[in-house]
Amino acid sequence: MKALCWRGKTKLEVEHVSDPAILNPRDGIVRITRTAICGSDLHLYDGYIPTLEPGDILGHEFMGEVVDVGSEVTRIKKGDRVVIPFTIACGQCYFCKHELWSACDNTNPNAWMMEKLYGFSGSGLFGYSHMMGGYAGGQAQFARVPFIDVGALQIPEGLPDEQVLFLSDIFPTGYMAAEVCEIKPGDVIAIWGCGPVGQFTIRSAFLLGAERVIAIDRFPDRLKMARAGGADIINYEEVDDLVEELKWMTAGRGPDACIDAVGLEAHGTGIASAYDYAKQRLKISFDRPTVVRQVIQACAKGGTVSLPGVYGGYLDKIPFGAAFGKALTFKMGQTHMHRYMGRLLKHVEQGDIDPSFVITHRLGLDDAPDAYRTFRDKQDQCIKVVLDPWKETVAA
Amino acid sequence: MTITTNIAPKFDEEEFSRRPATSKLETALTLAAGTAISLYGILRRDWFGAAFAGGGGYLLYCGIADLRRPYQGRVRVGFTILKPPDEVYDFVRNTKNWASGLHLIRLERNNDGGSSVRVGGENALGLTSQIEVTDEKPGEFIAWASDARMIEHRGVVHFKKAPGDRGTELSVALEYKAPTGPLSRAAALFAGLDPEQLVRENLRHIKQLMEAGEIPTTAGQPVGARGVRGTAERIMFREHPVADMQAERLAGD
Repeated sequence: MKALCWRGKTKLEVEHVSDPAILNPRDGIVRITRTAICGSDLHLYDGYIPTLEPGDILGHEFMGEVVDVGSEVTRIKKGDRVVIPFTIACGQCYFCKHELWSACDNTNPNAWMMEKLYGFSGSGLFGYSHMMGGYAGGQAQFARVPFIDVGALQIPEGLPDEQVLFLSDIFPTGYMAAEVCEIKPGDVIAIWGCGPVGQFTIRSAFLLGAERVIAIDRFPDRLKMARAGGADIINYEEVDDLVEELKWMTAGRGPDACIDAVGLEAHGTGIASAYDYAKQRLKISFDRPTVVRQVIQACAKGGTVSLPGVYGGYLDKIPFGAAFGKALTFKMGQTHMHRYMGRLLKHVEQGDIDPSFVITHRLGLDDAPDAYRTFRDKQDQCIKVVLDPWKETVAA
Repeated sequence: MTITTNIAPKFDEEEFSRRPATSKLETALTLAAGTAISLYGILRRDWFGAAFAGGGGYLLYCGIADLRRPYQGRVRVGFTILKPPDEVYDFVRNTKNWASGLHLIRLERNNDGGSSVRVGGENALGLTSQIEVTDEKPGEFIAWASDARMIEHRGVVHFKKAPGDRGTELSVALEYKAPTGPLSRAAALFAGLDPEQLVRENLRHIKQLMEAGEIPTTAGQPVGARGVRGTAERIMFREHPVADMQAERLAGD
């Protein structure tokens, strides 16, 4: 089969590799019909996530048709059309039983690596470094899905791939980011970053009853999409002081919840941002926590800071005094995918939301190496790239 | 409960030494101080100096003895398994499960009816020792001890009900004496024979088999060409080599 392999920092190649096989009794094999490039894949592309090895197959947002199942698989059948969550969960451990699916104890074969770095290991992830399990990813024609009975979401007839593909990561991720803010009537929610996750966070906040959503970015096309979703917008490059601007827009209260849908490759203005760039460049730090500082500073007293954006290491110059002084609540972590997929599929079926609005590029697998660069550099008004791994687009 | 933790006397071997292993820093300081004091003593060239040299010499002797002493270590690892204690006990006590679940540890039956444990691979790095269950209370604990040949070890496996609905606390506490100096210990570490990690990974396997029904793996999945760097990293991370998974370049790349 064809698969997108990482060869080193900003170097990707489409290679012919062997087809995946059932390795464990609870595995399934999926013939992938649609897969997408995630914002967090860009951290891998840029080499910010340790323990990714040359030759690894990337991709964790995918769906397709089940073509084979292991001997212990009972719920999922050959021929089922399924969306696969990016976190792998066993369904039997304490964390799975308590709906903390991304903290599953039993799915990371390289748990020791993550234990050395973080003390404990979370669940395995598809195509996201060896520390996170080293599972081959889904930017390929086929993928092996461990514990397929637990994760795979069956898709009813009639829903096109593009409407359900994002149930594999970004829609639940955006939804959880808003849900953990425990939105009450009258709440104002500020969201940093209007990329794909930010867009779903905006719409989820409204689904959950937010009074008003303020979306922050610097790209006009992304801000336009945010406005189409009902948000008020701020281009942070056009305001003097973002925190003051948010205070002004909320008559001195500040947003009741602030959501960082940006993560470790944040852009910003001013000295703090330049400092983060310099540290990352010198490899003193994995992360540029520009947005973490802003969300803490801007959040209303007693409010919630929610971090769906990915961070990897030790963050520097975090205003913890402000966080303590305002009695903030922090919520973060990999999405507990399995908790939200069924619920969000209902929203899609009822027509509350059509997740395909976020797609700007539809390409083949062979275009993926270029698409990563386009997406990272936000060229060509790129917001979300969807790949059809079977489309023949090889340029000579 | 009485837990007898040494069967060495049965084999006319010396008792497991109670003296704790010294730290590297302690040994280094002893050697440095010994060298300095004896040099000072020799340079004084008087009776007082001779006393210093004698004291320094003793310190040097202690430092060198530390370096040559068999290594003693302790391992304490616990896992919580979401199953009742009886079930976990039965699983661990059933030696058939050892073959399917345990990594680099093998239980063998001896001709005389006893058992021995082999730690490590089939090659020269493997260490075999005869063991005996010295005390046991079904559903609560199993204590074992080995003879003093090769690697000497003894310890207790505990099965305890975890608080609330969290299942069973399965823990292993053991001490061991390895007849090796620092160099061969480093070699063993590189071969994946760090005792603590070995115990940890095997308890993890037991947990995974009992809860999820399988041990998660990626060995045998498709990969692209690893290249020099990828191969080096795989050896460094001690990942399973994947045979016959050679990728070919896509025409036009």
